[in-house]
Amino acid sequence: MSKKIPSLSVITANRLSDGAVVFLDFEGAWNTDFAQANIASSPDEVRALEDRGTYDAQRNIIVEPYLVELRELDGRLVPIRQRERVRIAGPSILAAVPGYVAPPVAEDEDITQEAA
Amino acid sequence: MYRYDEFDREFVRQRVAQFRGQVARRLSGELTEDEFKPLRLMNGVYLQLHAYMLRIAIPYGTLSSRQMRKLAHIARTYDRGYGHFTTRQNLQFNWPALKDIPDILDELADVEMHAIQTSGNCIRNVTADHFAGATAEEVADPRTYAEIIRQWSSLHPEFSFLPRKFKVAVNASDADRAAIKVHDIGLQLKRVASGGLAFDVYVGGGQGRTPLIAKLIKEDLPEEHLLSYLEAVLRIYNLEGRRDNKYKARIKILVHELGAEPFAAQVEAEWERIRNGALKLPQDEIRRIETYFALPVLRSDLPKAKLSAPDRGFERWVIRNTHTHRHAGYAIVTVSLKPIGGVPGDASAEQMDAIADLAERYSHDEVRVTHEQNLILPHVAKADLPAVYKALKAIGLAEANAGLATDIIACPGLDYCALANARSIPISQAISERLAAKQDVIGELKIKISGCINACGHHHVGHIGILGVEKRGEEHYQLLLGGSGAESTALAELTGPGFGPDGIVDAVETVVDTYLRLRRGPEENFLSAYARLGMQPFKEALYVAEAA
Repeated sequence: MSKKIPSLSVITANRLSDGAVVFLDFEGAWNTDFAQANIASSPDEVRALEDRGTYDAQRNIIVEPYLVELRELDGRLVPIRQRERVRIAGPSILAAVPGYVAPPVAEDEDITQEAA
Repeated sequence: MYRYDEFDREFVRQRVAQFRGQVARRLSGELTEDEFKPLRLMNGVYLQLHAYMLRIAIPYGTLSSRQMRKLAHIARTYDRGYGHFTTRQNLQFNWPALKDIPDILDELADVEMHAIQTSGNCIRNVTADHFAGATAEEVADPRTYAEIIRQWSSLHPEFSFLPRKFKVAVNASDADRAAIKVHDIGLQLKRVASGGLAFDVYVGGGQGRTPLIAKLIKEDLPEEHLLSYLEAVLRIYNLEGRRDNKYKARIKILVHELGAEPFAAQVEAEWERIRNGALKLPQDEIRRIETYFALPVLRSDLPKAKLSAPDRGFERWVIRNTHTHRHAGYAIVTVSLKPIGGVPGDASAEQMDAIADLAERYSHDEVRVTHEQNLILPHVAKADLPAVYKALKAIGLAEANAGLATDIIACPGLDYCALANARSIPISQAISERLAAKQDVIGELKIKISGCINACGHHHVGHIGILGVEKRGEEHYQLLLGGSGAESTALAELTGPGFGPDGIVDAVETVVDTYLRLRRGPEENFLSAYARLGMQPFKEALYVAEAA
């Protein structure tokens, strides 16, 4: 976890079972859709996100949680770092990958329950 | 081909079963990530930017058709329909679910493959000249020795927790196609005056954040002493290598800090102690393993290749993508995984199946993976070249660009890699499209792109190297010139300030156009021209034009 508390952030991680990129959403679930991510806009809210990430990593729901700092750009909130923008959007070159098969669109599996 | 013995077979099966249990315990929460991470890494499983990644070992880049078909099957069944061939002659799947990986490893074990030692601080997959066993240039097949090293280094109890990862490459021709001088140990096989085979041993090369060219520390090491000498090198490294700082933990730093001669002296002292012990290789064992790689029975009575009509595309492909075979009636074929504007090193499941079919039908059941992210059909009868070309064309893999400007090495970069700072593949695609029309005029040119300082894209040894960095959250690219991973190994030099994602493509074209303008003729390749001209004219073209 970053020592510096960013002001405007979401928390991301990888889903344990398949490694998919997930974000903590408004309902406290880990969601693959960045648009549903819960955005913290104060240091207390950021700390709460961090705590939840640590807790869910300990519960073996997600792996390697960390904060992603955002900024406003053209009326939208986007990550400051290109790395995180690529992480959200996925590989930029999939259209050129030979034989690429997109995964079937599925409802996010419920991974909010603690592993047995 | 290498052959599993009963030990290999049983061990790999046991390891898969063991890992299956570890994955189950991880998924059930019995193991924490901190406990599980070293276990998954020992089995080639990384967690990347978007998903898990599984790296599969391809010993010295040699595959059978059956193995290639299995990789295609895994791509189709468990991943997203493709695989990525790497600069260490391995294959990576970018999207496996953790829960499926034990099944994938079981499938691999069915064809004598695994992912062991493709990660972690151990001796990694041993690489070799991808033309091994087929080229007339070599003194002997380097894979014999790569296989001996594979057997010795697999699960070596003393070397399973080294200060850092350890990479060995073996070459046996005057032309270095294995980039031996940028490996932790590079072995150059040669025939000595007595008629026997011996090695020149280079130690302490590598790229990454501290690029260094390996030092020659032992000449004419008789082949029977290969393992005892390697054991001595590894032992000194294991004892003396730094464990306090991972950025200074590679053997190259140890050799650099101690000095090559003092390091060699320590190795020599240790070697004297063990050289005639259990690791001394019996001649009959070397010759036995040599038979694994025996040249297939090749025919001398084949007709000449016949085309139904003149085909300029075929002629270009033969010139660019075939290499002289040791047998006059045969050729070594490079299957370019670099279609114009494509993703370097990627192949679809269908392409892998098709290559397996071609290997079975036309190349004595063998495929090779090159460190330049292409595939090789090592034993193709010249009479079959038109048929092979036609089949490759049908699957989009007949680009006649081996060694040209569009035959670009690129690491996965920020599109996949958790360590990367910038994307490599889109830069490669853009350069490929930009230079495609003039690549024949440019001639031999090796462009290599890495998305971070770890240098998996070998930018330090590119004739033109590109390093992606992060600058205030955005991608930025440094440009380097004059490197080489071949026998005249050289590290590329930085041109000056870097460029944005669009500017770097223009910059590469500026370098290429400057070379075309200043070269003495087509016979003076880029590297030779750079050696003559130096950095200055390129720098002027890049930065004076920019400032104007």
